[in-house]
Amino acid sequence: MKNEMLAMILAGGKGSRLGKLTKNIAKPAVPFGGRYRIIDFTLSNCANSGIKNVGVVTQYQPLALNNHVDNGTSWGLDGINSGVTILQPYAGSDGGKWFEGTAHAIYQNIAYIDEMNPEYLLVLSGDHIYKMDYEEMLETHKENDASLTVAVLEVPEKEASRFGIMNTDENDRIIEFEEKPENPKSNLASMGIYIFDWNRLRNVLLNSYSKDDHMLDFGKHVIPAYLESGENVFVYRFNGYWKDVGTIDSLWEANMEFIDPNMNLDIRDKSWRVYSKNTISPPNFLTDTASVTDSLIVDGCYVAGHIKNSILSNDVQVKEGTKITESFIMPGASIGKNVTIHRAIIGEDAVVGDNTVIDGTEEVGVVGYSEVIGVTMDED
Amino acid sequence: MRTNKLCAVLGNIQRYNALLPLTNERPLATLPFACKYRLIDFPLSSIVNANINTVYMIFNEGETQSVFDHIGGGKEWNLEGVHNRFFIHLYQDFLKLKAHNTSYYRPLIDYLEKSKSEYTVYMSSKMICNIDLRAVLKIHQQHNNEMTVVYKKVKPEMICQSDIVLSLTDNGRITEVRPFMEHVQTEEQENLCMDIYIVQTEWLIQRLKEGQHEGAPADLQDFLRKKIHTVKSSTYEYTGYLSNIFDVNSYYNASLDMLNQQKFSSLLYSNQKIYTKLKNEVPTYYSDSSEVSNSQFATGCIVEGKVVGSSISRGTVIEKGTEIIDSIIMPSAKICAGAKIQNAILDKNIVVDPGVQIIGTKENPVVIEKYQHVTNDIITKEAVVSGIDG
Repeated sequence: MKNEMLAMILAGGKGSRLGKLTKNIAKPAVPFGGRYRIIDFTLSNCANSGIKNVGVVTQYQPLALNNHVDNGTSWGLDGINSGVTILQPYAGSDGGKWFEGTAHAIYQNIAYIDEMNPEYLLVLSGDHIYKMDYEEMLETHKENDASLTVAVLEVPEKEASRFGIMNTDENDRIIEFEEKPENPKSNLASMGIYIFDWNRLRNVLLNSYSKDDHMLDFGKHVIPAYLESGENVFVYRFNGYWKDVGTIDSLWEANMEFIDPNMNLDIRDKSWRVYSKNTISPPNFLTDTASVTDSLIVDGCYVAGHIKNSILSNDVQVKEGTKITESFIMPGASIGKNVTIHRAIIGEDAVVGDNTVIDGTEEVGVVGYSEVIGVTMDED
Repeated sequence: MRTNKLCAVLGNIQRYNALLPLTNERPLATLPFACKYRLIDFPLSSIVNANINTVYMIFNEGETQSVFDHIGGGKEWNLEGVHNRFFIHLYQDFLKLKAHNTSYYRPLIDYLEKSKSEYTVYMSSKMICNIDLRAVLKIHQQHNNEMTVVYKKVKPEMICQSDIVLSLTDNGRITEVRPFMEHVQTEEQENLCMDIYIVQTEWLIQRLKEGQHEGAPADLQDFLRKKIHTVKSSTYEYTGYLSNIFDVNSYYNASLDMLNQQKFSSLLYSNQKIYTKLKNEVPTYYSDSSEVSNSQFATGCIVEGKVVGSSISRGTVIEKGTEIIDSIIMPSAKICAGAKIQNAILDKNIVVDPGVQIIGTKENPVVIEKYQHVTNDIITKEAVVSGIDG
């Protein structure tokens, strides 16, 4: 594939429904599955789909995200004809501008996209867990001679009112779009993944910003405008594993689903690897007091306690007598002796002191990044 | 420290037959260790941790494939960049030059001159350690002698016949350099020369130029060993973790050492990181039926059986009902249901059929060569066995 499609990952959202977990880092940089961050799935999809150039649009708390994405080398996107470019809001001669919406973020980065000069623009969000071949979606786009293709997922009827719903004709052409409809007419939910003919979108955006009706958002403004002006807008049906991890509950649930080696995301498939920035840590060490069942454990962990139905990320320490069940422990967390953790997410580098009990039976427990709990300070 | 103060030469040409078949088709340097490392990671990491940005490595002809596979562009060791380089040279090229009576150290002298370094450190991959070379350099500078030799006090069983040991005065001056002889052993501890040397680069260049007129050994390690007692040398006592790898037992014991929390931490969690080739692997999955204790695992494994006192490398599949006890499993093994493995070393890419037993002894662990498909029981006291289907 000759750089015909450029991917833009919109990774600037705050993800405020994740509470403490996105207090200091952007949602796409939130750790996932033991050795990943959420954006790894999207970036790996790009790399596996043969996309050479990726722009990552960041805004909110970008430090950890920028550091993670770096120059794309972890995803093999640092070759002579490929690259990852971090795109942050900047001040031009007409003043600084924050990105005010998904479409606005693309508009603000027209200079970058023009430089790449793609035929097609793939717009992605960096906060979903899934594997998808974007090249196949592009094929569909071309077959339909579409100017916009929207990836959709069939969701259960009763949940459809939580999504942007696409109503299609028998040829999969979109005839109506309804954002969170009370009475959904179909169950095809938008995944926030779009392929645009870049020239067309460029003109539409420039035209809108030259007037007063600024198109800030793809869902709210651009798609309705496309439909109104009779553009060829089609759906691309996706039917693999897909998970929005925008809330504490869904993040916890997605991690629990991730443990099962037979789940349909199939991360062990060597032909479609999920890449991440690799860090160097010694192998994980399980002492003679440890027991580990139905769990994932990653390098650098030290385990002397009991782990069941849980994920321990890089460099997690679990001391003797501690029981961790149905929980997701993020990298670098240190769990003391005789601790009980049930149904919880423990943030990066958090410290949980001896004998602490975290019981998330009612509501998933959350300990924030670098948060210290249950530690008594004897020194002073 | 200024970046080009030190340059490094890493020699990897010694062969130890007692390590066969583990060193079939690979140099000692790329022998896997502690689930995810290769022996060469240890000297290389000590070198880069001392802010050394140029390394000259010497290997035997025909033994470089696994070296290139492992080191690649050198990125993981920060040896790829504007200021950072590594070079690989074949020992046999020195020998060829020597046979033609020409200046056989020329490639090495070229390297040393171009490095513009003030000091040169020599190391090999046989001694697994994590050493602060800057501290050794400091001692070298303070004493201002020609050579500084690193040693460690060890028990005689940790020494092999080709090693040399030092006799020292109370204040660390060398009084004697001698080959190690097991049978006349009287001391409880010996000062094992770790074959880590720091010398002035200029001094080394001069000695090499002289040496090649006198037929000095083409192997730099030999060359330096012979110099220890003929010039003014200082010593540096290394006190960290050390394993000396020269036969199957020393390798097996060093691997089991890593299950000792203190030794593991001393080698792998010191303030100097050990770098290795990065692999993109999935987390290791432990199933409902897994029963693991006092063991080490790399990523990418699926563990459904019982693992005790063992070291399991990347991408190993351990099916239900298996037992792995006091064993070393190198990458990508498949241990099928009901198999039992005890006191054994499985090299890379082994398949063990269901129910098969591979059992050695503590003193004589069974070694299974890489890429074998083991279909019959191997219960033996021999160190190396045949009788397996390839």
